[in-house]
Amino acid sequence: MLRAHRLRRLSIGLIAIALGAVGCSSTSSGSTSGPAAGSKTLVIANAVRVDTLDPEANSVNESIWLDQNLYSRLLQPNPTGTGLLPDLATSWTIAPNGLTYTFHLRDAKFSNGQPLTASDVVFSIVRSRKFAGGWGFLLTPVKTITAPNAHTVVITLSQKHAPLLADLAMYAYSIVPKNLVTSQGKAFFQHPVGSGPFYVTAYHPDSEVDLAANPYFYGTKPKISKVKVLIVPNDNTRVLMLESKKADVIENPPGNLTKQIDSTPGLHVNLFPSTRVDFIQMDEHFAPFKKLLVREAVNYAIDRSALVKIAYQGDAVPGASFMPYHMQFFDSAIQPYPYDPAKAKQLLKQAGYPHGFNAFLITVSGDVAGQAEAVVLKSELAQVGINLSIQAYELLTAYAKEDGGHSQFGERYWTNDIIDPDEVATFGADSQGGANAFNSYWSSSQANKLVSQARLELNPTVRQNLYNQIQQIVYQQSPFIVTDYSPYRYGVGDWVKGFHVTPLGNYDLSLETLTVGSH
Amino acid sequence: MSRFGTLPRRLVHLVIILFGITLMTFFLLRLIPGDPALAILGSSYTHQRATALDASLGLTKPIWTQYGLFMDHMFHGNLGYSYFYNESATTVIGQHWQPTVFLVIYAAVLAAVISLPLGFLAGSRRGGIVDQSTRVFFTISFAMPAFWLGIMLLLVFSVHLHMFPIGGFGAGLAGHVYYLFLPALTIALGFSTVLIRSLRAATISTLQAEFIDTARMKGIAYAKVLRRHVFRVAVLSVVAVYGVNLAFLISGTVLVENVFSLPGLGQLLVNSVSNRDYPVVQAVALLFAVLIVLINLLTDITQAALDPRVGQEIGE
Repeated sequence: MLRAHRLRRLSIGLIAIALGAVGCSSTSSGSTSGPAAGSKTLVIANAVRVDTLDPEANSVNESIWLDQNLYSRLLQPNPTGTGLLPDLATSWTIAPNGLTYTFHLRDAKFSNGQPLTASDVVFSIVRSRKFAGGWGFLLTPVKTITAPNAHTVVITLSQKHAPLLADLAMYAYSIVPKNLVTSQGKAFFQHPVGSGPFYVTAYHPDSEVDLAANPYFYGTKPKISKVKVLIVPNDNTRVLMLESKKADVIENPPGNLTKQIDSTPGLHVNLFPSTRVDFIQMDEHFAPFKKLLVREAVNYAIDRSALVKIAYQGDAVPGASFMPYHMQFFDSAIQPYPYDPAKAKQLLKQAGYPHGFNAFLITVSGDVAGQAEAVVLKSELAQVGINLSIQAYELLTAYAKEDGGHSQFGERYWTNDIIDPDEVATFGADSQGGANAFNSYWSSSQANKLVSQARLELNPTVRQNLYNQIQQIVYQQSPFIVTDYSPYRYGVGDWVKGFHVTPLGNYDLSLETLTVGSH
Repeated sequence: MSRFGTLPRRLVHLVIILFGITLMTFFLLRLIPGDPALAILGSSYTHQRATALDASLGLTKPIWTQYGLFMDHMFHGNLGYSYFYNESATTVIGQHWQPTVFLVIYAAVLAAVISLPLGFLAGSRRGGIVDQSTRVFFTISFAMPAFWLGIMLLLVFSVHLHMFPIGGFGAGLAGHVYYLFLPALTIALGFSTVLIRSLRAATISTLQAEFIDTARMKGIAYAKVLRRHVFRVAVLSVVAVYGVNLAFLISGTVLVENVFSLPGLGQLLVNSVSNRDYPVVQAVALLFAVLIVLINLLTDITQAALDPRVGQEIGE
């Protein structure tokens, strides 16, 4: 009896101590509740944790979009993603030989009040460029980066490089304070200081990041004073947060819930054109795909409008050019391949596959739209005799299998990091570009030549012509099947006015002007 | 022979198990296609960029050298440096253990509070209203997957009744107890089914034992017989079930963490496997192994403390 009592007391005591220990030592953990009260705070629920606030090392989109609110760059993409706007540099000149760029900086301060000078700019660009596995390769032609005075930055090139301005507008080339990053190292990015519209007041990368308006910001003073970014990985939970008004904006509500959100009074789903291009890889190591006739046949065998309807609830746009549909030099004259199974059959016969062939399609497990797309593809290709077996893998396993040169069909997508088409052309059309033309292992010496030529050409009219030619070649040669352009999807409360996402995914410009009404 | 005589042997087992875990996680993880560079670079992956990244992460060294380095560092208390958190794996775990450990303890307490009275009542009044209704209710709750049950609880108690927050860990002890109530309940409802069923069965079989007849014949009041003789014997059999399931809970909280936006170890493990963040996966796997072995050990010790026969059997 006595023992039982002691044991009971002991176990209650142990539980109390254990719970207490967890409770006491957790003063720093953030809470992900917080009502969306007051019209001065915007609450955004993202699906993915923040990987880092260090712009040179960011790889997660949501973190990149968050970073844009903290740091400025020399230039920034405009809201439609088709041109550049001044940011820290109010103006710039390009020498007639195209090899020297001079940037004139505005009077700007970091969020701690310290002035931002040209030496901070030089330091930041050089630092990001050196980062292993980072974006330094974009600036390969850059010879020197110097600061002749506190308000001027000069960049010289070894050869002409048309994407330079777009490269410098990229998140990786955000400007950080030289003295603090040098003295604090990696620790700086736990409580970073930038010159963007907001600064970080609390950083819990797995649960919540809080921002407040930067009092020293040189641009439009935001109408909201705080931004709360919550990490809510579960799709349904994010929707519940919006429905109970605990969040003002939620990222990527599941496609099957968009109708439900739209029919809820006070809520709606906004679609923003993105630079995402969904395509089906056709690895040319697989014999049938070596033949142009087969690749064309597959293109004719796919009913893109059905695919868009079933896999994307009609929210995506049928794909034609391999370049994103809302970007510079996109050729809108190129139309999607028409759905023509009879022609596809005839082409297959011509190619020597009158009865079609068997092939596998790699998909990513858990990708709901991708799985739906796979089912549509299987039934459509079956009609022309191509018998698909669908193989679903976890994300990186799928990528590794698709990249390795032993793939057949594979579901992939592309998104831009810069607004200039040089990036997508290098990855998608240039067999020497490092990505084997989206890992199709297709190669066209003419396309390779045009990609390099367009990179050296500064005249926009001539460049448009060159990129039109590249898009035509890829369209005709169809090394991969461009299925659709899918937009960004956000669930937004009607009380939020002016939330806008650019094709690159940034929303920092809209946070400077949007308002949060009472709700 | 002491009742706890097996302790030293069990500790030796622990070391062997941990060594096995390091081997398994280290090599199995590297057998999965895809590497950290692919996770970092995504669609802008090029061989050149990947090679530069691999070199900076130390992944270009021969695999046995990497394993040797890992073991060497481990013995110096260093479990490696996360590729994605830019912090040591131990720091990363330090940032994630609290929600999970709190959740597991909370759920275990809730489950005990729910199932001990219900299981005992169901067993002692077999076929009665409590027995029938708990059978139906808990069979249904057991059949509901945690991610669905969690969403339903959120829908009712958070969205419509505004009684609980939708997600998060809260601040301070009271905050955690409040914020984690629904997630802990989600786990406890599934967990309770197992406990109630085994306590019910144990109660029924104890009631049929001869010593109960003896006790009743001595004229002891039925309520007292139930409390002193039946419950104390029946509950013993549940301890082992409780321990085994508790060990499962530790690694099985990931779905609930996901639904309730809890930055815990389950989510950390899943994300780290997806990102091929080798050092973190290795560290979390080691931690889970230690916890599970410890819980099993504690279960045995508790059983031995409660029931002298168990200790003798183990000791002999």
